[in-house]
Amino acid sequence: MAESLAFEFAPAIAVLPFVSFLVALLAGRYLPKKGAIAGMVATGGSLLLSAWTLFAVHTGHAYQQTLYTWVGGELVDFELTFGILLDPLSTLMLVIVSTIAFLVHMFSLGYMNDDGQTGLPRYYAELGLFTASMLGFVFADNLLMAFMFFELVGLCSYLLIGFWFREAGPPSAAKKAFLVTRFGDYFFLIGVVGVFATFGTSMFGGPGVDDSFVHVAEQALVGEASVNTFGFEPQTWFTILGLLVLGGVMGKSAQFPFHTWLPDAMEGPTPVSALIHAATMVAAGVYLVARMYGFYALSPTALAIIALVGGFTALFAATMAVVKREIKQVLAYSTISQYGYIMLALGGGGYVAGVFHLTTHAFFKALLFLGAGSVIIAMHHNENMWDMGGLKEKMPVTYYAFLSGSLALAGIVPFSGFWSKDEVLYETLVHGLGGSPILLAAYAMGLIAVFFTGFYTVRMVLLTFHGEPRSETAADPEPVRWNVKLPLAVLGVLAAVAGVINLVPVHAVVSAVPEILHDWLYHGPTGLNGEHYHELITNDAFAGYTSGELLGLGETGTLFASAGISLALAVAGSLLALVLYRGPDPAEHTDKLGALKPVLFNNYYQDEYQVWLAEGATVRVARLADRFDRGIIDGLVNFVSSLSLFSGDRLRRVQTGIVTNYAALLTLGLTLLLVAFGVMQGWFV
Amino acid sequence: MAVPVQYYLVFSTLVFCIGLFGVLTRRNALFFLMSVELMLNAANINLVAFSFYHGNLTGQVFSLFTMALAAAEVAIGIGIILVLYRNFADVDVTSATTLRW
Repeated sequence: MAESLAFEFAPAIAVLPFVSFLVALLAGRYLPKKGAIAGMVATGGSLLLSAWTLFAVHTGHAYQQTLYTWVGGELVDFELTFGILLDPLSTLMLVIVSTIAFLVHMFSLGYMNDDGQTGLPRYYAELGLFTASMLGFVFADNLLMAFMFFELVGLCSYLLIGFWFREAGPPSAAKKAFLVTRFGDYFFLIGVVGVFATFGTSMFGGPGVDDSFVHVAEQALVGEASVNTFGFEPQTWFTILGLLVLGGVMGKSAQFPFHTWLPDAMEGPTPVSALIHAATMVAAGVYLVARMYGFYALSPTALAIIALVGGFTALFAATMAVVKREIKQVLAYSTISQYGYIMLALGGGGYVAGVFHLTTHAFFKALLFLGAGSVIIAMHHNENMWDMGGLKEKMPVTYYAFLSGSLALAGIVPFSGFWSKDEVLYETLVHGLGGSPILLAAYAMGLIAVFFTGFYTVRMVLLTFHGEPRSETAADPEPVRWNVKLPLAVLGVLAAVAGVINLVPVHAVVSAVPEILHDWLYHGPTGLNGEHYHELITNDAFAGYTSGELLGLGETGTLFASAGISLALAVAGSLLALVLYRGPDPAEHTDKLGALKPVLFNNYYQDEYQVWLAEGATVRVARLADRFDRGIIDGLVNFVSSLSLFSGDRLRRVQTGIVTNYAALLTLGLTLLLVAFGVMQGWFV
Repeated sequence: MAVPVQYYLVFSTLVFCIGLFGVLTRRNALFFLMSVELMLNAANINLVAFSFYHGNLTGQVFSLFTMALAAAEVAIGIGIILVLYRNFADVDVTSATTLRW
């Protein structure tokens, strides 16, 4: 009874922040904290409801309900609906999103209100709408609804990145984020249409949904169902559909080559960056892959591409983070890199590992951004790490929380990031060793990225908090209040201990230690649980992954060897940074990179080539097309019209206006007719 | 025996051609009207000649109608010529060309 009540209230999880959006928008200026309180109450309520549904799913079963059918009936052979799907994955994500959103609202009190910022009602309204769209996206039960909320998330991030629209940078960054992600979403939209055209439904599944597109696709591959695949082999077509949807995922989750918007998005207020990077915008992409994982698991090609893109992005972004001077830039590239890991896990067949890293990353990345926000408050909005230093003694709460998040990010045992990153790499390694060189290549890139992650993380911590203050503001920082410290403390603890939800290596030795997340995700509804995905991954008719082992080490040996290698690399990277940047007055070592330095500082010229693509190539092609349109197409039409104009002009000269001429023509015509008539009739013969 | 019908036809053709010649060569609108009158009467001659030839009165009746029509036409024609004169101070048909093109 209690669980069904929880499900009855579930839609309110997204509705509550939406109400706070309306309240802040319409009445925000009259409220004491300009809408912050309403936002906190709403997200707090969402958090409680999410936790309640999580508990209800845990004690009972998953739940799916169609709330509203907006296209349907007898005249069309498909239905477009809004509905909710509450299963282990979505309830877990709901809890994560509402937790982070709640803490970000609280932090905003310190970052925005105490700082005397203007436009606060707009800020809280957008924050509420952002949270509402992400929560709606998370519990969407079909792909079309997911797409709509996906777009809303993109819109809200556009609004929030461009919050300080009176300055030059933010509006341009907002436009860039909007356009780049929209480029990916374009493919996503085609993918949604393709899914509808193929399966006639876009339901993800869940209890009571027998013909979800994931399930039908699976049956089509084993020959138990037939769908319209437009002349392709079913597996080829499903791969194409999967890759189209993946376009949206890569745009939102900032995967190479669509990652360029994310570092620029740092122009937004820091709490917004925390929300975007940890729980909403960027997480939406990989969450979508996890949501329809049963579909991707059918196609080894799509999985290989996901893994390769993920592994490459992880390494690529990590190398760029190494040289950055602004604290938020380092964090931005680390976000890209970490989402690369999540993609790597999902592509490598590690569904649980991917969700695990998504969870731990949400906590430690929110923590790092809020920590950076705290530092930025203290530094009067100077983000350059070379102006900081020595903040450790001045702001201990921020320091220890930030350190906890940094060690988690670097993947140092026993912080949460270690356990999840290790599992990501382990899953990819064993499936790669099982006979997939592509996965091994992706694994190798992910592994090298661990070294860089350790390096840039420790470098960031040392430059920000250690050594002597390198500027006057760093020597006398602005104090922060409880509303900054409390979220940091909560997240600091979470970032340290969140790993306990899936202690795989410990479980391998002491089986009494449970793999909570693993069991949780395996416990889901038919067709939507980890166990089923594992069967799909290992089935030769679908992805056909097999597990291998490192030479003669056995399963447990491989697990520990993998963990050992990644930990050793993380420690090596950290130690290198420690050696280079310790001491009271660290020197900048970027000159040692030689020719690489400008390349890294310019982010591998990614922006340049994309600008060239836009301005050099696209504009030129557009100009050519314009010339063709105006020259050939319009020219043809104009030629026809001028031809008739010209001939009409000549022909009207016949009308002289002189009656005598008309009479002469009349007579002439009659005579000619008579003569012709006579010739035909043979009168003159 | 009376005059054969061919003579009438040749006569009416001659009258018609005189009228046509007048229309084609004259520039004075009044001469136009007179020429048109000649052409109409050529047709009337034909009607009466054939009526006589066939031995019934239909043709003659029609020629009466044509005369009535011609009277009406002259009335309108002279009206037009009057307006023409008022606008152009002339009854030359070649000068009234302002409405062309």
